[in-house]
Amino acid sequence: MAVTDQQRLSYIAAQAADARVNVELQTEQMTLNLGPQHPATHGTLRLVAKLDGEQVVSADVVCGYMHRGYEKLTEVRTYPQITTLVNRIDWLSSFANEVPFILAAEQLMEVEAPPRAQCIRTALFEMSRIANITLFIGEMGVQLGAITPVFFAFRDREYVLNLIEAATGGRFHPNFDRIGGLKDDLPRGWIAETKQAMAKIRSYCDQLEDLLMGNEIFETRTRGVGVIPAEIGLSYGLSGANIRASGVDWDLRRDQPSPLVWKDLDWKVWTHPDGDSFARYWVRLQETREATKMVEQCLDGLPAGPIQAKVPRIIKVPAGEAWVSTENPLGEMGYYVVSQGGLGPFRVKIRSASFNNISITPWLLKGVYVPDIVTILASLYFILGDIDR
Amino acid sequence: MSSVEPETPEAPEAPEVEAPAVDPYASDLQALRTELGDALVETGAQRGDLWVRVHRDAWDHAAEVLRHQLRYDYFCFLSAVDWMPHTWPNPKVIEGEGAEEAEEEPPPSAEIARGFAGGDSRFQVLARVYSTTRHQGVFVKSDLDDAAPAAPTWSRTYRGADWHERETHEMYGVDFIGHPNLANLYLPGAFEGYPLRKDFPLLSREVKPWPGLVDVEGFPAGYGGGEESAAPAAPAEEGAAG
Amino acid sequence: MGIVERGGLNKKVFKPLTHLLNYSRKYSLWVYQWGLACCAIEMGAAFGSPRYDVMRLGVIPFPAGPRQADLVVISGTVTDKMAPPIRRLWEQMPDPKYVISMGSCANCGGPYWDSYSVTKGVDQIIPVDVYVPGCPPRPEALLEGIVLLQQRIQNEDMAERWRGEPIVVG
Repeated sequence: MAVTDQQRLSYIAAQAADARVNVELQTEQMTLNLGPQHPATHGTLRLVAKLDGEQVVSADVVCGYMHRGYEKLTEVRTYPQITTLVNRIDWLSSFANEVPFILAAEQLMEVEAPPRAQCIRTALFEMSRIANITLFIGEMGVQLGAITPVFFAFRDREYVLNLIEAATGGRFHPNFDRIGGLKDDLPRGWIAETKQAMAKIRSYCDQLEDLLMGNEIFETRTRGVGVIPAEIGLSYGLSGANIRASGVDWDLRRDQPSPLVWKDLDWKVWTHPDGDSFARYWVRLQETREATKMVEQCLDGLPAGPIQAKVPRIIKVPAGEAWVSTENPLGEMGYYVVSQGGLGPFRVKIRSASFNNISITPWLLKGVYVPDIVTILASLYFILGDIDR
Repeated sequence: MSSVEPETPEAPEAPEVEAPAVDPYASDLQALRTELGDALVETGAQRGDLWVRVHRDAWDHAAEVLRHQLRYDYFCFLSAVDWMPHTWPNPKVIEGEGAEEAEEEPPPSAEIARGFAGGDSRFQVLARVYSTTRHQGVFVKSDLDDAAPAAPTWSRTYRGADWHERETHEMYGVDFIGHPNLANLYLPGAFEGYPLRKDFPLLSREVKPWPGLVDVEGFPAGYGGGEESAAPAAPAEEGAAG
Repeated sequence: MGIVERGGLNKKVFKPLTHLLNYSRKYSLWVYQWGLACCAIEMGAAFGSPRYDVMRLGVIPFPAGPRQADLVVISGTVTDKMAPPIRRLWEQMPDPKYVISMGSCANCGGPYWDSYSVTKGVDQIIPVDVYVPGCPPRPEALLEGIVLLQQRIQNEDMAERWRGEPIVVG
């Protein structure tokens, strides 16, 4: 059918009108307020973004909605009380928060925990890593719209939480570490059950690898999104899996001397060259598998012996300063403890991993589309208590 | 635990007394001395990290030297310390074992000790950087003016210092010269005062002072409790061996 | 609601109606979970995990927003900075609404009772129906709190509630 002149002219006119609209339409920037209560922020994080259409022009992070004043509270508490409090900074992997603080206090007191305690500490540390990251692996799916993984996550985490509860009494917030060792020895049958649970966690990781990482939608939404170059990441102070996903081969468990027994275990540091959200997810998945193997090795080679060194009942830590940092599930967590004798410390500076991890967000979110904001936040993986202390 | 011998300015080569290994910080320390000259006030090494105290005017120059010249690529943290003694009572034992010692304990001395690499002022700013390739860390600290604590910003050199300086500013009142946006990070806008300063009391404890550490909770009235029936170790008391 | 204001629902003939109304209300609660801190994880375990499933109690989690929720579970530390959003979101909930304060931070400030930035208990901002103690309370404890709330709802007098009188439940 031949196109009439009338049709041709009206077509051209419509195109021209369209072009005029696109050129002349002055859109205003919209300010989008994401949070502080929002399912996509892992807690009370507020993100204020200026949008031009669907793209972020600039973003600012407002944190502090969970700021509880830890550093001030440590100045009025004794060391055992601080151990209780400090569990709640990174509330998913609570045993891991206690360890650097206790190690710093032990450095100041110049006591060393017996080898059995160090081995169990390492096992519990890695188990808290598993408890933490399994939830991340499931939750990243929810953030992107896949709801099933998080149910698997909660179900399979319960195995690990059961074990932590059997040994320490608390599902999380165990408050189990003591200056000089641990509070109690392991219950009977714990080691065998733990090995079974580690096998279950490995099968969970395999399931998630099939479900999510092979999924085309997941790949499209995460590959190339939120790329962090290594130089800039290190300058911001990113640590842990976030920076290992940008290709930096650095893990404090391997590279820093520590009384815990990581040196004696046979394990691998996982890195990924891409630096995007997929890489961060991939690195954490591999680390979880690695952690299960580390727990099994710890428990296979568990030395006999006492569980706590001889320390006085009322603990007075001699004057001095100590800095200890460990490779926590979220990154590098460190404590700078200043003691002037006395029952409690003089100053404790808590270096928490998520504070630095999230400080990159305003830079990272420039030019990103709105759905990718959620992907990036999910892949950076923070805990609000860790940011806000 | 062995510690590395502290370096003294007069003898850059550590005397070979206990550790035959080469000090990994020797070359870095030399470079810092060359660059900063007089601004490098005091140095030391403690448990694997190098501690350096610089003059506050050279604070940002030290950052540049550390990052660009000495390749300390990872920014760990930046914060401040207020060395004034607490204006509130320290925790102490009031009942049970240890109470008698607490009675005789002298009040904490008014002379403020400043920790490693020394110091002269009440406020000190403290930062740590680390090299992920050589696995070495450096603590840098600087004395600040007590009346109006201020230091040049590190955020141009290390981007992560941005948020850390905001937090230090709102907690201690330290001004960071050249920082693009020194707004509150944690505290709500209407908050007055600098919470982490030692003269900022925790009002809940002022209203009802913490009675102190009770070693063993007593028995209720009418239940007696001589020596033989007193609980030998309160289950919640930490530090009990075995 | 003329019948209610005239005290009609109190009449003997309407008692079974009240009973039926309360019965259906207590088993169709839509829970808005305000997860702030560590208790949010236990709340998530109670709501989302198959082990401590809360839906078997007739309580459904994840409404689309506070405007469609009956019950809010405040779990975690309430800071002074967070208090205004909590108040605003509670006001957005339509009546009849219930509040469960979960965890010792939300009950009374918890381990941070002396902090300069923590609100000592969410009941300083909004009225609370059930307090669930613990740090964190086990998911079963939260479920018991919900069951207690359901008992409370069962014994409620709707007329008093509509008139705005303080609810006293035996």
